[in-house]
Amino acid sequence: MSVSRQLLTEMAEGLFGDLAGQDFTMAGPRVAEAGFAALLVPEDAGGFGGDWGDLFAVLRLAGLFALDAPLAEPIIAHHLLAQAGIAAPDGLVTIAAEGQRVPWGRHADAVVAVSGGVLSLYAADACAFDEGVSPAGEPRDAVRFTGGAVASAPCSADLLALGAFARVAQAAGALDAAFALTIGHVNDRVQFGKPLAKFQAVQQALAGFSEEAAAVNVAGQAAAAALDCGEAGFEIAAAKLRANLAIDAGVPVAHRLHGAIGFTMEYALNRFTRRLMGWHSEYGSDAFWAERLGAQVARMGGKGLWHEMTARSDRQIAPA
Amino acid sequence: MQIFAIHPFDPPGDVPALRARVRALIAGHEAGWPLEGRSNNWFTFDAAFSRVLGREGLLGMTWPKRYGGHERHPLERYVVMEELLAGGAPVGLHWIADRQTGPLLLRYGTENQRRKYLPGMAAGEIYACIGLSEPNAGSDLASVRTSARKTPEGWRVNGQKVWTSGAHRSHAALTLLRTEEGSQRNAGLSQLMIDLDTPGVTVRPIVDMTGTHHFNEIFFDDALIPLDALVGTEGEGWKQVTAELALERSGPERYLSSHALLVALIDAVGPDPAPAIAQLIGRLTAEMWTLRQMSMSTAAKLAAGDDPMVEAAIVKDLGNAFEQAMPRLVQAALDADLAANSDLSRLLTWVLLASPSFSLRGGTPEVLRGIIAKGLGLR
Repeated sequence: MSVSRQLLTEMAEGLFGDLAGQDFTMAGPRVAEAGFAALLVPEDAGGFGGDWGDLFAVLRLAGLFALDAPLAEPIIAHHLLAQAGIAAPDGLVTIAAEGQRVPWGRHADAVVAVSGGVLSLYAADACAFDEGVSPAGEPRDAVRFTGGAVASAPCSADLLALGAFARVAQAAGALDAAFALTIGHVNDRVQFGKPLAKFQAVQQALAGFSEEAAAVNVAGQAAAAALDCGEAGFEIAAAKLRANLAIDAGVPVAHRLHGAIGFTMEYALNRFTRRLMGWHSEYGSDAFWAERLGAQVARMGGKGLWHEMTARSDRQIAPA
Repeated sequence: MQIFAIHPFDPPGDVPALRARVRALIAGHEAGWPLEGRSNNWFTFDAAFSRVLGREGLLGMTWPKRYGGHERHPLERYVVMEELLAGGAPVGLHWIADRQTGPLLLRYGTENQRRKYLPGMAAGEIYACIGLSEPNAGSDLASVRTSARKTPEGWRVNGQKVWTSGAHRSHAALTLLRTEEGSQRNAGLSQLMIDLDTPGVTVRPIVDMTGTHHFNEIFFDDALIPLDALVGTEGEGWKQVTAELALERSGPERYLSSHALLVALIDAVGPDPAPAIAQLIGRLTAEMWTLRQMSMSTAAKLAAGDDPMVEAAIVKDLGNAFEQAMPRLVQAALDADLAANSDLSRLLTWVLLASPSFSLRGGTPEVLRGIIAKGLGLR
């Protein structure tokens, strides 16, 4: 791990750990103050100069602590604005991917949208929101632009894919957290005269859960490595789809092994599982990414799939 | 807790050129290969192609040159292996010697044993099998009973091994034996490298449910095995075997056994499939891509000297589940005529039938999940 990434993750871990269990009114201002929004903005433009691997690490920690504050969306927005050479406005900037609700839209000072190869920055007074909430209670607001953009510029980014990448990273952390809670619970909870962890059926189920958490962590890190090499549409599609499959497989196991305790509002598990249930749908369902990826692969042909996949990962190997 | 942190896969040298070389070799030899054998191809035998790989320097790649090896990086070997597997090449005959027996001899074997076996293994001419299971010792390997009694003339071996893949085509079997009379469980076990043409050693076929002969029984009837056939330390056989098993769990063969079916599916449906079929291809691709990343990361950790036991077990369990699910998912999505003569139908039928074997080699899902649970702190 690079020194800068270590500093970044230590800072994120400290802050998000402090804010665990706090709601948006407490967590939002603290996260905004910490300046994470400039994570991907180059140093010479006043940002942190981080890469996608850094972003994965930070968003994973946000998922690990069930952070109730906008983080992924402002980072992506500031990144795209910097790339487009548009000065970022003060305050909270979020993103409007096509066909998606806008996370934290009602609280935003500006919204970045990308459509037809053009990035547009809208001020809050040009946005009309139809408010909604995610299963975790976070704002998810449908937007209609009622005024013109403050600024616009050509942009080749796939906002939906970048949002999907963010959800994979958050899901990696949330699944790890749900797994750790479950391990703790089955080690402590005694039934039939012994800890639940002593039952082979419980061990087998948890081992299966760990495999799903492992798969999402690897998929997210590999997608980040691909993004750091350039175009990563294939990897992000695969990673989001794999994350969705893992959420589908992991969340029921966490709840099953917790029994009624895990179904209460008081116990922490729901902070992770309600988010995971929401992220499963956000920035592309299983069917959406499976069809998009499958259509892409079908055009490669049978052998072409392997050739494409290896050529893409070979990009990440340092030249001899 | 992060169960699986990624490790960069960073082999030296020109990796695309290495891939191109393996692909050209496959293209030059694939004309005569039977279609079905292109799946599960680390159980497909072709002596001529094994010798080709030996001549090309693609076997024993990481071994010292003085034993016929090529002193290449383990991740270069990984690249060659995944290309051969994904390309459907018949690599079964030399697979065990190259992956497992050769490296074990390098680690524990005597100079004589290395000189006797390794150059031929690296040439693709000497093949090995692994004598572990017995009629009453399967997943519970510590209950092996086949015995080797030390005498001045040599080891007197009596008993029976079973499910020994490829024994009928192998020259030698690295065999786990009870060398201490009356010892229990995992104590008192040792490994002997037994030449299969030794008098008193009989190999008999077991035909599997696909109609193929790769399983065997090996009977030992007071066979006299030279004293210097002992590999490693007497009484340390269990430790040597378990280390060997842990290292072989995360290779590309653990998720690519059904790959030829995915290739055939994509080719059969063409560039513009119906949405449901595109979704199936997308899902299989996403799982394969993730497994490949997990397998490469584990290989890189092994190459760096780490001991990623939990990760390796995770790769094998998820990989086997994937390669077993693939034929069922394809069958569910297609209106498949299993009696038809198309490539897709033939491969689907073959992989459906072969797939139960994918999770019985190298540890069942239940055994692997036990290892994972223990490694993850379930008390």
